[in-house]
Amino acid sequence: MNAAYEFVTGPLAWIAWGIFLLGSAWRLISMYQLAKKKDASSWAFLDLGFSLRSIVNWLIPFNALGWRKNPLLTVTTFAFHVCLVAVPVFLMAHVALWTEFFGLSYATLPDNVADIMTLVVLAACLVFAGRRLTQKDVAYITTGKDWLALAIVALPFLTGFLAYHQVFDYQIMLIAHIVAGEIMLAAIPFTRLSHMVFAAFTRAYMGSEFGGVRHARDW
Amino acid sequence: MRRILPLLILAALTLVAAQALAQESITKLAPEAFGKFQRPPALFAHDKHNEKAKLDECVVCHHGGADGKQDKSASTEGTPCADCHKVKPAGKATGLQRAYHKQCIDCHRAKGKGPLACGQCHKR
Amino acid sequence: MGITERLIEDAGLRRGVSLLTPEKIEKTIVAVLQGETGARLKTYAETCMRCGMCAEACHFALSHPGDPSYTPAGKVHQTMSVLLDKKGRVDPDFIYGMAQLAYTECNLCRRCVHLCPIGIDTAYIMSTVRRICHKLGCTPQYMQDTAHSHASTFNQMWVKDDEWTDSLMWQEDEAREEFPGLRIPLDKEGADIYYSVIAPEPKFRTQLIYQAAAIMHMAGVDWTMPAQTGWDNSDMCMFSGDFEVMGRLKRQHFESAQKLKVKRIVMGECGHAFRSVYDVGNRWLGWRWHPVPVIHAVEFYWELIQEGKIKLAKKFPGPVTIQDPCNIVRGRGLQQKLREVTRFLVEGDIIEMHPNMEHNFCCAAGGGVINCGPPFKNVRVEGNAVKAEQLKATGVKTIITPCHNCHGGLHDIIHHHKLGMDLKFLSDIIYECMEKPEA
Repeated sequence: MNAAYEFVTGPLAWIAWGIFLLGSAWRLISMYQLAKKKDASSWAFLDLGFSLRSIVNWLIPFNALGWRKNPLLTVTTFAFHVCLVAVPVFLMAHVALWTEFFGLSYATLPDNVADIMTLVVLAACLVFAGRRLTQKDVAYITTGKDWLALAIVALPFLTGFLAYHQVFDYQIMLIAHIVAGEIMLAAIPFTRLSHMVFAAFTRAYMGSEFGGVRHARDW
Repeated sequence: MRRILPLLILAALTLVAAQALAQESITKLAPEAFGKFQRPPALFAHDKHNEKAKLDECVVCHHGGADGKQDKSASTEGTPCADCHKVKPAGKATGLQRAYHKQCIDCHRAKGKGPLACGQCHKR
Repeated sequence: MGITERLIEDAGLRRGVSLLTPEKIEKTIVAVLQGETGARLKTYAETCMRCGMCAEACHFALSHPGDPSYTPAGKVHQTMSVLLDKKGRVDPDFIYGMAQLAYTECNLCRRCVHLCPIGIDTAYIMSTVRRICHKLGCTPQYMQDTAHSHASTFNQMWVKDDEWTDSLMWQEDEAREEFPGLRIPLDKEGADIYYSVIAPEPKFRTQLIYQAAAIMHMAGVDWTMPAQTGWDNSDMCMFSGDFEVMGRLKRQHFESAQKLKVKRIVMGECGHAFRSVYDVGNRWLGWRWHPVPVIHAVEFYWELIQEGKIKLAKKFPGPVTIQDPCNIVRGRGLQQKLREVTRFLVEGDIIEMHPNMEHNFCCAAGGGVINCGPPFKNVRVEGNAVKAEQLKATGVKTIITPCHNCHGGLHDIIHHHKLGMDLKFLSDIIYECMEKPEA
């Protein structure tokens, strides 16, 4: 089992991070080149100030019309995204690994807080899934890609939660957790999760058009 | 549920059995310096470990040193780890948690034996 | 649920589809997707999380509760998503439904932008679908007729060159009885203002030209209208997907203003034409901004009022409500100026519709939908029940809206729902209330 653990925390981790970082960079660069080549009449209007204006206004819960019209989703998605990023980055056990492998060390979340935040992520995934199954307008547009993205995100948290509480076989669960996390990282550039890479830019573009050309709010 | 049930029972039995067997001889690494523990203290049966690992020299673990540099010639057995390794270390010194993790995991990794992952030592 | 269950017979769509082959379809779709789209479409298609938040945006969706095929994402799901997934390998029947949906069930109003966290521009996606339909020759017959008119005459209504100048001289003649000395100066070089209108004005709303001339005259504006083509600022080709002709139209409009060496273009009270001139045509022609500055009538009237050039003999009796035209509100942020002008003109309250301003509901006529003609009239009237409720809730008798499409759309909604409300352009009210020379 140690060999498996060393493999998933060693070579496989390098591969996953490599796919995530290089893949994201490649997607961004090729998208940038495509935009320069094909979307010049949009690109010309990009504006940093109006981009930030739009992004900031959409980062405030219940500020944009979209958030106000969808309260359940707003609460869910803000809680989900905050926990989704904060737990993996600031979990004590993860930081201990950064220390072990690279000597890096930084602030951590208390374990009991991280535990609750993990449950928040899982609960949010249930809300998302519930909407896809029961809400007509969401069910109508749901595709396999959307379920895949949801599963890819839910699994590392589910297995992480079980491994932390040492339910079932700890070592198997931990390895499953690490592999699930690595799948998520590697999937970011190539699935619906790529909105992590692109959303800031689509928002920025809309903000620039509405700010600089149309002189109207876009939130 | 039917499929998982036997597994659950098995897991529960394994846990109980493991604890019953280990009860007598275990020692935990639970220095007071940490204050309230976030995770269960690492299990460490000193004598049994050293017997199994064929460790005769105390200095292998009970090293000396300062400013983040180990001195393998000065044996410090009898001095609690926390006396030198502070929870929040100053300067280049190694912190207490890091010292434990480094001491155990690096050796296990080098020898290819012994636990590496969190929950293998921090058992619930 | 979906477009296949509500197909409407249209001669233009039927004939276009009858001439299609799978090979032609695939070739055309691939050519547009690869040749004319890029990072925008790609990121929109990929990062739409299918969250369904946009369902709350669309007046079509809100007017058909329980039918998700009218939501913005639902409409993309039935059209562009399929084209991308199947790489253009779809059959002619699919094109019929796709065209009907894109031309008649989306006003390109961009309200959904306000509900999408990622900032997806569904109007752009639907415009691209329309572009493909145009290239396949599958366009609604009525809309295509206006596009043909644009291509042959540079105006939307088959107005002949002599009819245009005739109409202007006729209005000038009429107005001189009421305003002695009034002129509609044709081709006056170096004028401050170049006034352009949409072709329906000379064709059947000539009183709007009369009113504009009266306002210009009384405000002492140095203005002109072109005697040659270029005078029509409207643009159905932008909506049909015929971007080549759109480019010709916009070039003609700007160049006719440039030839007259005017300082600015003022556009009449029309929304879609403003979108075409201000936001779309210039880009197609490769101009970041306009070679001649362009302002909408609302802003022009606002300026005249600021300068004290519009003098009222009386105020218009309120209360009134305001229908915000998408293309000058979400398209140009004129909502406050529109209210300031209205407050100047009206005695009494402005009873707001909710939502309003940038968050307004479209009239369901814009985006070329009304130009798809009688076969699709009920699509937009029944598809905008929420607007009827909004209008009814204000309890007022007069609706002010500075947009031709809003007038057309609301007129039908008012009639269908028996709301008994009047529609006014700003120029209707200014003309009615302004000081006039003693007769």
